[in-house]
Amino acid sequence: MNPSNQNSMLNLGASHGDRDTGEDTLRLIAQLPAPRGLVDRVQAELRAAPRRARVLAWPAALRSDGQWMRSAAAAAIVFVVAGGGWGVYSRVQQPQPARVIVMPPRLAAPGSFSSAAAIRTPKTLDGPVVANPATTKAAEVRGPDKLPALAVQKASRRLQAGATKETSIQAQAQPAAK
Amino acid sequence: MSTSQAIFAGWMEIPNSAVNQDARSQTEQAAAEEATLVALVSQYAGTLYRVAFSVLRNPADAEDAVQEAFLRVLRHRDTLDDVRDRRVWLIRIVWNIVLDRKRRAKTRPETDDVSELARVLPHSGLSAEEIASAAQHHARVLACVDQLPTKERQVLMLSAFEELSSVEIATVLDISESSVRSRLFRARNLMAGLLNHERK
Repeated sequence: MNPSNQNSMLNLGASHGDRDTGEDTLRLIAQLPAPRGLVDRVQAELRAAPRRARVLAWPAALRSDGQWMRSAAAAAIVFVVAGGGWGVYSRVQQPQPARVIVMPPRLAAPGSFSSAAAIRTPKTLDGPVVANPATTKAAEVRGPDKLPALAVQKASRRLQAGATKETSIQAQAQPAAK
Repeated sequence: MSTSQAIFAGWMEIPNSAVNQDARSQTEQAAAEEATLVALVSQYAGTLYRVAFSVLRNPADAEDAVQEAFLRVLRHRDTLDDVRDRRVWLIRIVWNIVLDRKRRAKTRPETDDVSELARVLPHSGLSAEEIASAAQHHARVLACVDQLPTKERQVLMLSAFEELSSVEIATVLDISESSVRSRLFRARNLMAGLLNHERK
């Protein structure tokens, strides 16, 4: 440490003309010696620091056939990319034309209210609309008057079946009697 | 071998002699860079330590800052040849590091500064009372420095380094030289006012 530093410690009031601006203190700190062994410690730190970024290398066993491996890897990449593209393309659905369902014309029943000034209510739901009325049950279509005829038909069929059974039994019994 | 294979082989493959030559030149370059770095450390470690200590006021923190600065240099050693003034460049690196650390660190109490200065500052030939009073005065001055606006404070602190000219201070702070002068003028006036106020 030189003597000027020690003097500046005591001569606190005469740094900048007559005024004390505190620069002596800052100058004193700026002249402090570096601690011993600083250079060695920094150099040791630098030696311990990682040098360069490492790049992953091919395994030594594969290095001799590098060309073949590169081609295979390139082909695999092309295959994966092309396959992925085809997978996406094949899953895309073609837009289908919208189905139009024709509503049956509403016929005003005689004596009912007229629909002349009716306010049309828009369809708020996109549900299926039945174009034709569903087919009614067969019994309703045929009507109640046709039911006895069916019963008669069924009874006659049963009778016929019973007659054929009897004739077959007789036919079996005749050879036995003989 | 077909024509295309021959073309690709010629295009893609690097002859062994070229690889060996390249590896040799890389080794030589790495050795040269290492030698440059070692020279930089031995030449400027002390300067960087003082710059760091003037801001952080703690020997361990200052040493850490110096090490971090040289680690940054190690990371960017490829650009060392492009640097015109390495001393100012290094000071600028460590200056940014210590400002960043100072910003992140909590405010230290003034008593820490007093005890640290009493320990660090030279005191050969002084009595214990003189050392204590000098340390208290310096701590008071540093407290006043901390009250200065940032721009003025930075210029004032860097101006204390006799090895730095106003042009170099301007380079470190990335401002013009006239700004350095005007800020230094303002800083001195403010400091005088603050210290007079302290005395009264």
